[in-house]
Amino acid sequence: MDREEILKILKSPANWGQKYSLWAVYFCTGCGVVEIPPVITSRWDAERFGVLPMATPRQGNLFLITGYVSVKTLGAIIRTYDQMPDPKYVVGFGSCPVNGGMYWDSYNTIKHLDQYLPVDGWIAGCMPRPEAIFVAVVHLWQMIDKGMAVGYKRYRENYDYYQRNQRAVLPHLPKFDLSQDALVQRSR
Amino acid sequence: MPATTGLKIVYIIGLPVAGFLIAVLFLGLSRKITARIQRRYGPPLYQPIIDVVKLLTQKENISHGLLFDLGIVLSLGGAVITVVFIPAGGIYPLSTSGDFLVVLYLMLLSPLGLALAAGASANPNASIGVSRKFTLALGYEVPFLMAALAVMTRFGTTSLVEVVSSQQGSVLAWGLFVLPLPALATFLVLPAMLGIRPFDFVAAPQEIASGPLVELGGKYLAFAALQGALHTYIVVALFVDLFLGGAANMLTFFAKMLAVFFVGVCINAVLPRVRVGQALRYLWKWPTIFAFAGLVIATITRG
Repeated sequence: MDREEILKILKSPANWGQKYSLWAVYFCTGCGVVEIPPVITSRWDAERFGVLPMATPRQGNLFLITGYVSVKTLGAIIRTYDQMPDPKYVVGFGSCPVNGGMYWDSYNTIKHLDQYLPVDGWIAGCMPRPEAIFVAVVHLWQMIDKGMAVGYKRYRENYDYYQRNQRAVLPHLPKFDLSQDALVQRSR
Repeated sequence: MPATTGLKIVYIIGLPVAGFLIAVLFLGLSRKITARIQRRYGPPLYQPIIDVVKLLTQKENISHGLLFDLGIVLSLGGAVITVVFIPAGGIYPLSTSGDFLVVLYLMLLSPLGLALAAGASANPNASIGVSRKFTLALGYEVPFLMAALAVMTRFGTTSLVEVVSSQQGSVLAWGLFVLPLPALATFLVLPAMLGIRPFDFVAAPQEIASGPLVELGGKYLAFAALQGALHTYIVVALFVDLFLGGAANMLTFFAKMLAVFFVGVCINAVLPRVRVGQALRYLWKWPTIFAFAGLVIATITRG
């Protein structure tokens, strides 16, 4: 830790905490998750970046969408995202969440994740190497520093847009009144 | 150390703070040591502080009701009040004649608070975790209480301060050498009391999504983490006071705690997780036999 860092910490401890303590939700969304075990274990050791896998969405603040998103998984992803406490960051991992990847003409996957959830960053590739996750983490740090990683705020502001898209593919998703703090209701 | 009222108040406030600092340092150390054992670089030593700061700044988007909030507070409060009763290197602001018994009772307050919160959260994983916690407590309380009884019998007191003062003098006066069997029994149940591997099935992330902590996020998880850190301090400090002769000053006490904790971390880093039934079978076998034999010997040699 150098001297400039200490000044930054004193200016905003919250920023410091949110930057260096990214707890990832332990949720296998697709085939990309095979890259996660080497990342969190001895070979690449994500813990030195403060990245830890967490078993429950309540404890996580980093959501890695690893690989293709089938329509059924999307429901679970949205539920999980709603249960995570603010501030939370979503990173699309692999080409499938970006534009469908090799599932571009599949009948049961969604093509563009950012129509359903606010995505803070992408890691392109099929598959991205584990190092790419660290590049993404460092990039996320810079975005948090500049106040650009505000996907969770965008989600609240444009909730109508996201909910419309979500319900277009998942009609059974419960509908809530935004004025009644919809997110609180739904995460119950 | 005879303390004036003012000094006593300072100690009562300062001891949980010191305990918390020591426990957080231990937490950071344990992550670093585990990383090195697994040939990783590991997080910085102050990583637990970063985590707690982050958790305190997070905003929960749900409330589980009053009992949930109060359960967490009770859990943390129980841990804080237990720390004040345990003599730490010549500082014992609330020592009375029966404080060993008080500590034994107060140690159950923290799991009880977590159980209340877990029950209020109505999550099945949390309920499973709580039931596992109390089954495990049933397992380790039997040998631990027998060992505690042996200590009380041998030194003829229920005061932790007197237990510590009777072990002063030479190293051979330590509980470890005076009461080898109860010391061994307590050491064998120490991982179960700390909730580390091989007995970490209470908060197993892979099976029951971290058990009682499953619905805790943000500030709740921060309080639960502080409670967990203080619990580690309590168990290790109690072991040092009972069997390693306590300490005359804070520095020696810290060194002894560090030694005990280091062994615990090494056990935690290399062993896998056992099942509940296996844990009970183990806990009610060897530690209980050792503790019971130690109790019998202590009673006879005293008589």
